[in-house]
Amino acid sequence: MQRRYRTIPDLKVHESAHALAFEDPALAGKLTAMGLLPGTLIEMVRTAPFGSAYYIKADGVRLALREEEASSILIDV
Amino acid sequence: MSEARDKLLNIALVGNPNCGKSTIFNQLTGLRQKTGNFPGITVEIKEGRMQFPSGRQAILTDLPGTYSLYPTSSDEKIVASVLTNPKDAHYPNVVIYVADATHLEKHLLLLTQLLDLDIPVMMALNMSDTAEEIGIKVNAGVLADRLGIPVVAISGRTGANIQKLIAEIEKLSDSTAFSEKHFYPLQEVEKQVAEAVCLNFSLTNAYQALLLAHHYEWLPFLSEQNQETLRAIVQDKGLASLRFQVDETLDRYDRFTPIVQEAVQRPPQFPSTPTDQIDAVVTHRWWGPLLFFFVMLLVFQAIYDWSTVPMDWIEQFFAQLNVWLTDILPVHWSTDLITDGILAGLSGILVFIPQIAILFFLITVLEEIGYMARVVFIFDKTMRRFGMNGRSVVSLISGGACAVPAIMSSRTIGNWKERLITTMVTPFISCSARLPVYAVLIGLAVPDKRVFWIFSWQSLTFGSMYALGVVAAFASGYLMKKVLHTRESSYLAIELPVYRIPHWRNLWLTVWEKVGAFVIGAGKIILVISMVLWALARFGPGDAMAQAATKARQEAQKQQLNQTEAADLLAAYQLEASYAGYLGKVIEPAIRPLGYDWKIGIALIASFAAREVFVGTMSTIYSIGSSEDAFILREKMKKARFEDSGTPVYTLATALSLLVFYALAMQCMSTMAVVKRETGSWKWPLLQFSYMSLMAYLLAWVVYNVFA
Repeated sequence: MQRRYRTIPDLKVHESAHALAFEDPALAGKLTAMGLLPGTLIEMVRTAPFGSAYYIKADGVRLALREEEASSILIDV
Repeated sequence: MSEARDKLLNIALVGNPNCGKSTIFNQLTGLRQKTGNFPGITVEIKEGRMQFPSGRQAILTDLPGTYSLYPTSSDEKIVASVLTNPKDAHYPNVVIYVADATHLEKHLLLLTQLLDLDIPVMMALNMSDTAEEIGIKVNAGVLADRLGIPVVAISGRTGANIQKLIAEIEKLSDSTAFSEKHFYPLQEVEKQVAEAVCLNFSLTNAYQALLLAHHYEWLPFLSEQNQETLRAIVQDKGLASLRFQVDETLDRYDRFTPIVQEAVQRPPQFPSTPTDQIDAVVTHRWWGPLLFFFVMLLVFQAIYDWSTVPMDWIEQFFAQLNVWLTDILPVHWSTDLITDGILAGLSGILVFIPQIAILFFLITVLEEIGYMARVVFIFDKTMRRFGMNGRSVVSLISGGACAVPAIMSSRTIGNWKERLITTMVTPFISCSARLPVYAVLIGLAVPDKRVFWIFSWQSLTFGSMYALGVVAAFASGYLMKKVLHTRESSYLAIELPVYRIPHWRNLWLTVWEKVGAFVIGAGKIILVISMVLWALARFGPGDAMAQAATKARQEAQKQQLNQTEAADLLAAYQLEASYAGYLGKVIEPAIRPLGYDWKIGIALIASFAAREVFVGTMSTIYSIGSSEDAFILREKMKKARFEDSGTPVYTLATALSLLVFYALAMQCMSTMAVVKRETGSWKWPLLQFSYMSLMAYLLAWVVYNVFA
């Protein structure tokens, strides 16, 4: 069966999707405390100038995430 | 005194990062604040005094900003360790919880945790004026009712309603009642853990017990035996810490989100702020790094250019004071101690105030408007290649002025390894104390000729010294990354706050506080060292000093020197005969391969206290102690020759070798003291010292042999 989710790096600039779940439990603790929860609408704003990091908006809050952090957040299709 | 303090109320400010806590702290305390050391762990917290209209006084503690009681950096750990330990000196009678009215739905998690701890708490609804401007209406009455605590809408920016806040705090502290609302019902496993912990530690609050169980590994107030007990309970009941933390957080959101929805009316669309437009440039692929480069250029320009005038004032003031004191005080060694030991030391400390003040002013501006978070975002990847973190950029930049505050600023780095590497490599960045040394040596040995159109050899050498420091820092970061191993994970995950106009009050208070910390913290060490140095140079073994004086007098008569010249000659002869001169000669064989004679040896020894001592020491050695004029010093140094071979000491090779040595060697007691404090052991500063000195020695040797 094909997986029915993507991760944040799959988003194109200005594209949005809802967060579904977190793969890294330690990071999940940090992100949920910062207000990024399962169900939060996430918008890709841009990638970092030297790559490997993302600038996203989660329900109006601006966050910077590393590549591996962003790819541990599952989002809907 | 301590009894009086016991009777004072302890009030703590708690809130998320970027909620405007420090502005409120400054509003409530003004200049009556100080940075204290936090006992047990090496983090500083801010404390201030506040007064109620009734005349009662209280101690207000500004705890670091954190999103929850499950911390990820040493800054955030303080909050959890204070609030779970009622015996802590900072444990509050009352907490002022600061929440951002424009983002209330993200700011209540920590509050619900405080309520579950049964700590008397009230809410300061900050930025309520901004919220209204963008069409967000918060009903404070509904919030107060649903949360069961007093809520005051305030503005840290304008100071509106601050008096009302103060009145509420006093009312709350008298009642000692806490909200009866509790938020998180423990799950079955958590209940069992909490019951066991309550029983073992005779606690009554289940949530406090649960937090001890989650954090037993690092809570500083637990004994080893306590930790064993907790470990056994956690393992026995099967408390999978991380999973339960996330479940708890999500459950709390489910419980307070309806309250926010009831109390907050917001416009259907998120109001657009200039932040997005600004970030389109600031974090842009090309413009972002370019802008950063220009900002840095501006900072350096400011540090070097704007500081010269006040620095001259300070130096002239001390020169005048010195002359005046020498005139009115009797001729005695104690007078020398005051003028050459203490005054020289004081001037060496105070002369750095303009640079430190300007640097901190600019860094605080960049921090307050929200630019630093963007710098962290832009450079995170680059820094990680070298074992550091985006946040390390702030430390390395600050290192351009002084490594002491720069190392202190690394506390926000959560990962131990990245923080340690940042601490270890920051002193390689050429700080302002190396500046006078570079200036004298480059002027001495590098020809003032132009290459290309606008560059001169001198300015290129100057630039190379800075580049050398940067390269050394990154290279050692890379090495340490390969050597050090840690299983701890590292995160970036930071909030990029909305751009704001800085609060002038915050700026001035930060500058005031940092300058004070430098003068008192580093100042003590520099003052002691300069007195020791003075003694080493003032006294010698046996009657060596007296013999040197006789010899100098005969020589002066023979050469028919005037009074000043004779006095300078005397000083030079006596320095050679002193303990310092003796030490210089002892180390001469070790430094001869680098092209240095015993006189430079003295300066090197002296410089291990602080680099800026170099110029002063060389002036004394070349017997122009009375003027400390860089130009005369250079002329004298040009004429210097090795005593055995008669060849000139200061060739291009020697000067370059010395420059490299000063660029790389760890010659700063204050930095070592700070590294010890931040890492908690002497192991790291000693390692850093050996490593940097070895690198300096080897490279200086290579440079000398290449150019000789």
